[in-house]
Amino acid sequence: MSTLTALIIVLAILMTIVGGETGIRSFFSVLINTMLLILVAILISWGISIPILILIFIPLKLVTIIFLGTHDYTVAKNSFYAAFLVCLIVSVLILGCQWLAQAAGMGPEAGEVLVGLSQMPGLSYPMIAVAVAIFSSLGAIAEAAVAMSSGLLEIKKHNPNISRMNLIASGNRIGRDVLGTAMNTILFGMFGSFLSLFLWYFRLNYSMGEVLNEKLFVNEALIIMYSLIGVLLTVPLSTIFLSRGMNKNEVKDGSK
Amino acid sequence: MKAKNKKRYIIALIVAVIGLVLTACTYFATNIYSRDDVAVITDNVIKDRLIEKDKDVYNNVDQTREQTLHLKVLSGKYKGRTFTTKNVYYPSQMVSQKYRARQRIFVNIKKGDPAIVNPKRDWVLVLALTVTIALMIAIVGRHSFALIISMALSWLIFYLVIVLDVHMNGAHIILLFSLADIIFSFFGLLIDQGFNKKMLATWLATLLGVFISFGLCYLVMQLTGESEMKYETGDYATQDPRGIFLAQTLLGILGAVMDESTDIISSLYELVQTRKDITVNQLIKSGRTMGQEIMGPLINVLVLIFISGALPMTIIYLRDNNSLGSAFGFTLSLGATQSVISAIGIVLTVIFATGCSLLFLKNKKWKWGKKE
Repeated sequence: MSTLTALIIVLAILMTIVGGETGIRSFFSVLINTMLLILVAILISWGISIPILILIFIPLKLVTIIFLGTHDYTVAKNSFYAAFLVCLIVSVLILGCQWLAQAAGMGPEAGEVLVGLSQMPGLSYPMIAVAVAIFSSLGAIAEAAVAMSSGLLEIKKHNPNISRMNLIASGNRIGRDVLGTAMNTILFGMFGSFLSLFLWYFRLNYSMGEVLNEKLFVNEALIIMYSLIGVLLTVPLSTIFLSRGMNKNEVKDGSK
Repeated sequence: MKAKNKKRYIIALIVAVIGLVLTACTYFATNIYSRDDVAVITDNVIKDRLIEKDKDVYNNVDQTREQTLHLKVLSGKYKGRTFTTKNVYYPSQMVSQKYRARQRIFVNIKKGDPAIVNPKRDWVLVLALTVTIALMIAIVGRHSFALIISMALSWLIFYLVIVLDVHMNGAHIILLFSLADIIFSFFGLLIDQGFNKKMLATWLATLLGVFISFGLCYLVMQLTGESEMKYETGDYATQDPRGIFLAQTLLGILGAVMDESTDIISSLYELVQTRKDITVNQLIKSGRTMGQEIMGPLINVLVLIFISGALPMTIIYLRDNNSLGSAFGFTLSLGATQSVISAIGIVLTVIFATGCSLLFLKNKKWKWGKKE
């Protein structure tokens, strides 16, 4: 048995034990999400218009992550609205920044890796860089939206008569923690993903100025910031969506 | 409350203005770079000529184009001199670069012959950083100061760890990055929450989550003999690729586990604050519910980070008629393994975080009992 298969089996067992039914659904959400990402790669390699693929796959991936990953419908609905809106705003920002930075394509090692591969694929790598940035930050946005909504609802569940003002205050407190640590997930995820690149820069004696202008470094640093901006926008938006939705429910209950 | 918010927006605005000034300074900076010289493209419209239309063995259609650029050097020995040079690029811009009119670039001039190195990109980083920090202050307020310090500190520690690793030439890499994890999480949580019981509980849960799951995965890897682990496909390997992979895993797992422990423990803390008569069983149930909610999305965050990064390479493999299986093996299998190991850490942390918050609830209760 290959190591990857064995690890996936261990993961499936653990998710079933710890997560119960939600855990099994989360497992499939991760699986489908991975397949969607590979599907995006296949479709792009077929030459299908990348902007259209991005617009189709943002909601598709958000639905997979949020609705399959959480068992509470209210949490999921609120998270989805907030996350979708934030993703659209961040996509516009990414388009602008990527246009300015011109940091698309392969890095400094490309020559070695690309031996035997086509260097003129006839695909727009600037657009591919935009797609990569959007999909990299989408996960963090969805996660922040779910953490915000589920934290707020948990408070609401144990304290049903909480006022809107108090809920917003609690939202700010949770938002602070969610943000402080979403930052860690993103930052260390990126460190973990690009450690070898940083070692490469260091071993090849890149100067500070060179690193700060180097394509891949700029790209990675920008992705960290897009994700942070996405998470930041999610904090007020999910609190607003949730407290609005709640007020509607209260009105309904009152009329009954 | 409103006055406080207003002050917050004013500070955010001031930071934005300072940031924009810094962005402009970086954009116009010429003399701070040691290796290459800065030049500006003086053309208002760049002459862009089609050399040939290409079709390669995989039937990919692309073009070869040539730009004629007039440069004025702004720094170094050749400051003030003008050059004319040519830049060949393919519109797909995978390995080549198209330049724009009036753009600032780096050139390397040898014997009066300029070679274009890179576009100047650092000012975009300053611009994006400005937007991030201004937005952070507007939304989070005073607390963003701690977040920015914590992020800067993480970069600093990361830098030191890399220096140390290169100094040790990659020996004891697992030990080094385990220690780094302990230090990273301690300072990260300390700055975020201050030194208190809540922070210590979170730290304990984080360390348990990282090391127990890493140990478990290492065991599985040993038992399966690390079959089909294609370490040699790791990019930019300057030392033992297996060591780099394990170190990357130790780093990548840490942020997510810290995130999750903090989410669960801080939410349970809020719960204790708003409802003081909560029982241990209710708390465990709440912790598990929260963990179940957060687990899936959090794993997806890492999957997206680890796998998206490999997309440009995967696309080119697929474009060149490789089968999905071989493209996966070459470009995605290490990222996928890293994702699964991190996922196992995230699942196990639900247990540790709930357990640790229980500990701290008991202390809290005991304190209240004493006061009354």
